[in-house]
Amino acid sequence: MTKIVIVGGGSAGWISAGLLAAKHNCKDSTSVQVYVVEAPDIATVGVGEGTWPSMRNTLKDMGISETEFIKQCDVSFKQGSKFVNWQSGASDAYYHPFTLPVGLPEFNIAPYWLPLREQVSFTNAVCAQGILSEQSLAPKQISTPEYAFNLNYGYHLNAGKFGEFLKQHCTKQLGVNHIQGKVTKINNDQEGFIYSLDLDTKQQVLGDLFIDCTGFSSLLLGQHYQVPFDSKQHILMNDTAMAVQVPYENESSPIASCTISTAQQAGWAWDIGLPTRRGIGYVYSSAHCDDSVAEQTLYDYLTKTGVSADIKDNLTPRKISFTPGHRKEFWHKNVVAIGISAGFIEPLEASALVLIELSARMVAEQLPQSREHMALVAKRFNKTFSYRWQRIVDFLKLHYVLSHRDDSDYWKDMRGLDSVSDSLKELMDIWQFQSPSKQDNQHAEELFPFASFQYVLYGMGYQPKATGSAFKPQDIQESRRLFEQNQQHLSRLHKALPTNRELLSKINQYGLPRI
Amino acid sequence: MTNTVLLNSIEHKDLKVVTSFGDQYGDNVWYTPTFPLEFRSIQAHYPIFFQKDPNTGGFYPVAMTGFQDNENLFLKGDTWNAGYVPLMIKRQPFFIGKQDKIEEGKTTEHRVIHIDLDSPRVSSNEGQQLFAEFGANSPFLVEMADMLETIHHGMEANQAFIQHLLKFDLIESFTLDIELNDGSNHNMIGFYTIQEDNLRNLDREALAELHQAGYLEAAYMMVASQSNLRNLIDMKNKRNELIG
Repeated sequence: MTKIVIVGGGSAGWISAGLLAAKHNCKDSTSVQVYVVEAPDIATVGVGEGTWPSMRNTLKDMGISETEFIKQCDVSFKQGSKFVNWQSGASDAYYHPFTLPVGLPEFNIAPYWLPLREQVSFTNAVCAQGILSEQSLAPKQISTPEYAFNLNYGYHLNAGKFGEFLKQHCTKQLGVNHIQGKVTKINNDQEGFIYSLDLDTKQQVLGDLFIDCTGFSSLLLGQHYQVPFDSKQHILMNDTAMAVQVPYENESSPIASCTISTAQQAGWAWDIGLPTRRGIGYVYSSAHCDDSVAEQTLYDYLTKTGVSADIKDNLTPRKISFTPGHRKEFWHKNVVAIGISAGFIEPLEASALVLIELSARMVAEQLPQSREHMALVAKRFNKTFSYRWQRIVDFLKLHYVLSHRDDSDYWKDMRGLDSVSDSLKELMDIWQFQSPSKQDNQHAEELFPFASFQYVLYGMGYQPKATGSAFKPQDIQESRRLFEQNQQHLSRLHKALPTNRELLSKINQYGLPRI
Repeated sequence: MTNTVLLNSIEHKDLKVVTSFGDQYGDNVWYTPTFPLEFRSIQAHYPIFFQKDPNTGGFYPVAMTGFQDNENLFLKGDTWNAGYVPLMIKRQPFFIGKQDKIEEGKTTEHRVIHIDLDSPRVSSNEGQQLFAEFGANSPFLVEMADMLETIHHGMEANQAFIQHLLKFDLIESFTLDIELNDGSNHNMIGFYTIQEDNLRNLDREALAELHQAGYLEAAYMMVASQSNLRNLIDMKNKRNELIG
């Protein structure tokens, strides 16, 4: 029997609990038992409101009805990110959609687009999603089954409601045990492994494996085991966020299909459209911008995007300070940290929830049978997630390095060569001569496919030194066929897809079919 | 375009309705909605599958009469070559409407007959009379009213039928691949049918529940109706030969 104790609820705790309990059939079997210890008075951070498409499988694997999830968690569809003003700051914009370029995985079309770069943007040449997102269209129809799609999608959601929804599902459907109480003491055994937790309720919780989902406090990994923190602030300088929630102008205002990320003088503003409200925040470098200027920047953004003065007057921005980075290791002895307790970085590519999903899956799929086994899995886990963090940091940094903004020291500092990792420098050097391709991948399961690098690189107007050697005539023909196929796909979907708001209201009325 | 109004014996006393069939009346359809109440008659002539309502995503059963848009293989000139014509075709140009009636302070909903005045079936000089001399319903209209009532109950029963099938995972999507004598291949997507393995493996309680509601019989009639596909393909081949 394996007893897993998850400390902390929130998205991290309940996603971990759900994936573990579903995988090990805790509902019907006692060979694995999952406990979530949650202190009733601790507020969750609640800003992780954008997911990747991976969340669809996560929910499906937990046996969740997509209709119920959408109805109960204020969900809307996310089809990617729109980056505004990142290039020069003069109303430039590009999309990084969730749909891969047409032709993949067999045919890498990017080199064939390069000669056409003056005529059409990379995203629009190879994917329909940018144009359709611009019109706030949904990624599917009411007749499309749950989790299936016309265009690949993730979600925007209300993190508070999501945690509560998962808690209900985990405890009622998946056989997860919920213990209310605050951890007051952590007890080690002779080998230095955690043996039990004492709670303020006088209860003692024993466990074989402990999952630290305690957020910024990192109670088990950071505080108890003193695993050092690896700051990335010298690379990604944003360390403060100011967040607000604002209502729509009226009930029929469009719900955006993407997270809109607008570059500012010392950071960028996120804008996430839920069915009921927009979640907006400014994440910035406190070294380059003081709080009052940041607040003004946030308010200016609100004004520009149609928020009226009387609404703004009643807002109190919530300030969140953080050090970007992650723990030096994530699995130590019998503690594995999942979520913010493992690390936190600006939400530029919504990497927080996907890291939780991937971490929980890896624990669930390689659940240690013994301490000997655990040491091996821990080593592997640490290696995998160190690499993933490195790739996330590089990928986020890429967005800044490609910018030509010079309206503040912030942008100059963010481009400073001493702030760029060697691994990213090497990629940037290679891309002067060849498009991002699968040759760039070092692992079979990359967090960001090379297509993501293409979308960002070419979206930012990157000028390679060389556009490659001559192409085979058959390949040129194939690329033309694919460009044409994308156009046809676009016009078909343009006719067929409802707006986000229309679809969400239909889902509330009829639900999505399961098949 | 439709111009649907409440039928009344004053304004519409001279209206007539054409009951023969034809392309001009909108009968050249490749499928028609149906419901378990008429499955017994439908399955003798047509394959029954499910379609999805594009407005709600919900399933509804349809009787297939062709393989593509604007193809009703049963329609030849002004006749419908089958021993039974689906009620949803026969009821044209009438619709069921709903009206609130206040009686003794209570609002109740009543079903009333609506007619589409723009339907090419509506005529002033040919077809069946709707009203007798002093405004009484003609025998034809009485028959139509009964039919609309049957359709109303049938459509309501569809909802429960589908819910039960979904509950026991008895609906699956399928792609119909047919090869015609001229070697051409057609595949039709977007249709759903009964998941036969699950139907055969239902446990005792599920069987009892479906049987008591009459849905077990309906599900098996849908399965049996698939043998009409052969007939439909033959009709298609014959039509192609005539054209060829």
